[in-house]
Amino acid sequence: MEVTEKNMREIIEGYDRDQRYALAIMQDMQRIFQYVPREGLELLAEYLGCPVSALYSMATFYKALSLVPKGVHIIKCCDGTACHIRGASTLIEGIARELGIGPGETTPDGQFSLETVNCLGSCALAPVMVIDDVYYGKVTLERLKEILSEVKKGGGGK
Amino acid sequence: MIEIQINGKTCTCEPGEFLLKVAARNGIYIPTLCHHEGVGEQGCCRLCLAEVVERGRSRIVVSCVFPVEKPIEVYTDSERVRENRAVVLMLLKERAPESEEIARLCEEYQAIDGSRFKALDNEKCIMCGLCARACQSLGTGAIATVGRGTGKKVSTPYDEPSKDCVGCLSCARICPTGAIPYKQDEKERRIWDRSFTLVRCESCGEIIGTREELLLAAERGGREPDTLCASCRQKQMADVLAHTYGLE
Repeated sequence: MEVTEKNMREIIEGYDRDQRYALAIMQDMQRIFQYVPREGLELLAEYLGCPVSALYSMATFYKALSLVPKGVHIIKCCDGTACHIRGASTLIEGIARELGIGPGETTPDGQFSLETVNCLGSCALAPVMVIDDVYYGKVTLERLKEILSEVKKGGGGK
Repeated sequence: MIEIQINGKTCTCEPGEFLLKVAARNGIYIPTLCHHEGVGEQGCCRLCLAEVVERGRSRIVVSCVFPVEKPIEVYTDSERVRENRAVVLMLLKERAPESEEIARLCEEYQAIDGSRFKALDNEKCIMCGLCARACQSLGTGAIATVGRGTGKKVSTPYDEPSKDCVGCLSCARICPTGAIPYKQDEKERRIWDRSFTLVRCESCGEIIGTREELLLAAERGGREPDTLCASCRQKQMADVLAHTYGLE
């Protein structure tokens, strides 16, 4: 969805004017816009009657919230102990070759963001990668290419 | 009412009262950094440690957030407290090596050697967050803690000058380690990357605050902004009273 004042207001006004909904609203913005826009934060502060600094503090605290636009598809590549030993770093290099992005970066077309995480709790499937809440286990470089083209086509993930 | 022993002295308190408060009321000093009457307890500097003995068992507690519920014996300067405090102070010193207050406390309470840690560069802040709490509780909320973990810091939103800041210096004054820089000359005060014009008392010329600060106070109190300093206001009031009662 496009980042417009109308769309932002729609998200915000779906909730009561209570500071305890701040996080839920920001999570909605993140999901819908792929980030929490600055104007959104300011509108929210005005709506809830709390300082922008309090919301900014929250938005920078949670890793799930981002202040810069994230890709439509989020790749979470595990680099925990088990995955690291089973070749997670090769996988991350493979993603860098395929998409030209490193951890924490987003492709210029806004399609993919790469994040590394420390453990996804599926060590038996190492190395593990998650794209838009779909788990891919025992990923090899060949499989990686297939998975990425599948996601690009809209087959996997969202 | 509960009776407790602090360093052998009998003190009474209500159930649930914090130990630090009970000690302070009874004239027993416990060193603190992150404690301030005005903004509630946080228990993050860990300097106010005390030893609590309950049914023969001793443990170390953080006195500012330790609610007294039972009759206990408390020691604020025992061997165990001194040992623990020496470690806490060493850690604080490595975190904020530039702070004079922490250096002074380290000397006073004989902090242990911390050379095995790499001290932060040019840092005075211990990340207690008192400044942010003070700013929030005043209702300005211009600063808050930003980020988390080792990268956490106190800042304005987006690291830009905040429109909410009134330059009241509450943050800089409440800071236990003097970590918030500001500059002030005859006419102007600079803090958090913004300049504020200073207003002086119409009668004696003393600085009474920034224009923004006085306007905010006036708006909250539903009155005209102050033009006099506190002592000139008192004098004016005294004159009015004297006139009213014909004492001139």
